[in-house]
Amino acid sequence: MNITLDQIMPEPLASIKHGETSIWGNKVVLEGGKRILLNASSGKGKTTFTTTTIGLRHDYTGTIFYDNRDIKTFTTDDWTNVRTNQISVVFQDLQLFPKLSVAENLRIKNSLTDTFSDKELRALLEQLEIDNKWNQECGLLSMGQQQRVAIVRAMAQPYEWLIMDEPFSHLDVDNAKRCMDMIHNRTIEQNSGFILTTLGDSHGYSFEQELFL
Amino acid sequence: MLDKLLFKNQDRLQLIIAVFGSFLGVTFLVTSIHYLIKVQEFGEGADIMGPNTIIVQKKVSNSGTLGLKATDFSQSEIKKIEDMKFIKEVQPVVSNNFKVMFGTKDPLVPPFSTDAFVQTIDPKYLDVETDKWHWEEGDEFVPVIMPRDLFVMLNTFMSASGMTQVSDDLVMQINCEFKLSYGRNVKHLNCRVVGFTNQVSAILVPQSFMEYGTENFSDGTPKKITQILISGKENEFGLVEEMLVERGLESRKSQMVVGKLKSIVGTLFIVIMSISIIAVLVSGLVLIQFMQLLMSRNAYEVRTLMRIGHHPKKIIRKFFLYFVRIFGIITAVGFGAFMLLKFILDKVFASGGVSIDTSITMTSILALVSAYGIFALSSYLTAKKGIFNEY
Repeated sequence: MNITLDQIMPEPLASIKHGETSIWGNKVVLEGGKRILLNASSGKGKTTFTTTTIGLRHDYTGTIFYDNRDIKTFTTDDWTNVRTNQISVVFQDLQLFPKLSVAENLRIKNSLTDTFSDKELRALLEQLEIDNKWNQECGLLSMGQQQRVAIVRAMAQPYEWLIMDEPFSHLDVDNAKRCMDMIHNRTIEQNSGFILTTLGDSHGYSFEQELFL
Repeated sequence: MLDKLLFKNQDRLQLIIAVFGSFLGVTFLVTSIHYLIKVQEFGEGADIMGPNTIIVQKKVSNSGTLGLKATDFSQSEIKKIEDMKFIKEVQPVVSNNFKVMFGTKDPLVPPFSTDAFVQTIDPKYLDVETDKWHWEEGDEFVPVIMPRDLFVMLNTFMSASGMTQVSDDLVMQINCEFKLSYGRNVKHLNCRVVGFTNQVSAILVPQSFMEYGTENFSDGTPKKITQILISGKENEFGLVEEMLVERGLESRKSQMVVGKLKSIVGTLFIVIMSISIIAVLVSGLVLIQFMQLLMSRNAYEVRTLMRIGHHPKKIIRKFFLYFVRIFGIITAVGFGAFMLLKFILDKVFASGGVSIDTSITMTSILALVSAYGIFALSSYLTAKKGIFNEY
């Protein structure tokens, strides 16, 4: 699935002058299967890009297309299908359920598609060295641990795009590397693409495309 | 898991108060509707005339006796009474203006004969099968409705004659006779009792018989309307009684007592029913408000569930089913409490000498189902609005 941002201008950023290479106010095509880096400093609109692209914000001008379809024409059923089978997201604020355990947070997402068994989910946590937190309430974990739970949760569905909004901001280099490896393998396995927004660090990964704000 | 996520974070005390209020409301609603209907039905079938119908006449005073004051009703007086808002209908009671005698004519009972006073009223006020309440010249017998006082008198006479007294059913099998006469013109007509009344002192006959008697045996004196039949509206018998006092009218005491009692008890149950409806509405609103509060406390959870791919309809269904299940339990327990109350109240009524039909009224069940339906619809609409607010 290709995502096209055609002359997108979020209302809060309309008063700022954007360059010729910026995704704001220009036409950008995100080709399916590509691994893309969105590198920008704070306040430039990385989270705005994420939430607008996945249909959570509507305060913009221009048109966003999934393949050839304007996302403003999507129904509730369409969005549910997109969020269940086509686009997975790691939110900047993680959007975990603090009163539920790690296992429950993962199951509540995994139950929609039965992508993994409990054993496979635990194995993913093990790769990120947090399998011992399986029964612990998410709200009691450190931010770094919560980020890793959110990444595993994003893996627990089929997707054509994985959009991650500063997913490693609380991780050290080694843990970020482990996460990158997992994301890379899962993305390759599904022949899909991902977009990673960061504050400047490419985390040692070779991206196929870079976007600017 | 969704249940744990969405329903763990709630104020149990508020829920318990709302549930208890709804339970009381539902219980009293069903109970009051049930007994309101039973009270209205009370007396039906016990007499050949409806329980809300009385026959009245003007009180006879000394001046009336001396002929200084009219004891009959004019058409304008009847119209005035009919126009009162608590009166359903007024009908004149037609009396005979010809000579008639009533007696037995059966080998099984001793001969008994008396001058009779016969009356006729509109058949719609009589609880008698229409094919039985019909007469035309040449028919085998004239159907009559006998005043119970006359029946008691007949039995007293039988007893005094050393004969076995007869039951209601048996007296309806006895052959009787009317003797109509005017001068030398005499006619004997067989008649048979088809029912009894406590409310009329005269023998009731079909209208066609009265017309036949008037045409062939009267001296031509115009008939005066000395009695009228008043049909009052349900639960407004107190007003009928006031009107009778104001206008110097009177009726049989027993008729008034039943009507008045029904009015008082009916009004009491209407008050209870009104309070119950308010209680059900208020507690339903508290439950709905509780639902809104629960959704607002779980706004983050609801929003996040939808962001990670849960369909809004699925979440709406969760809230909807949770609350209709609660109200379902309230309704079921309320119905159980009603059955218990009914068991106790029926016993209280029976021991007080008031025999009420113990079957369950369909209207009270319908009220219960309606209350449940209204709550279910409100729950669904509230859940839908609340969830889509977070979408």
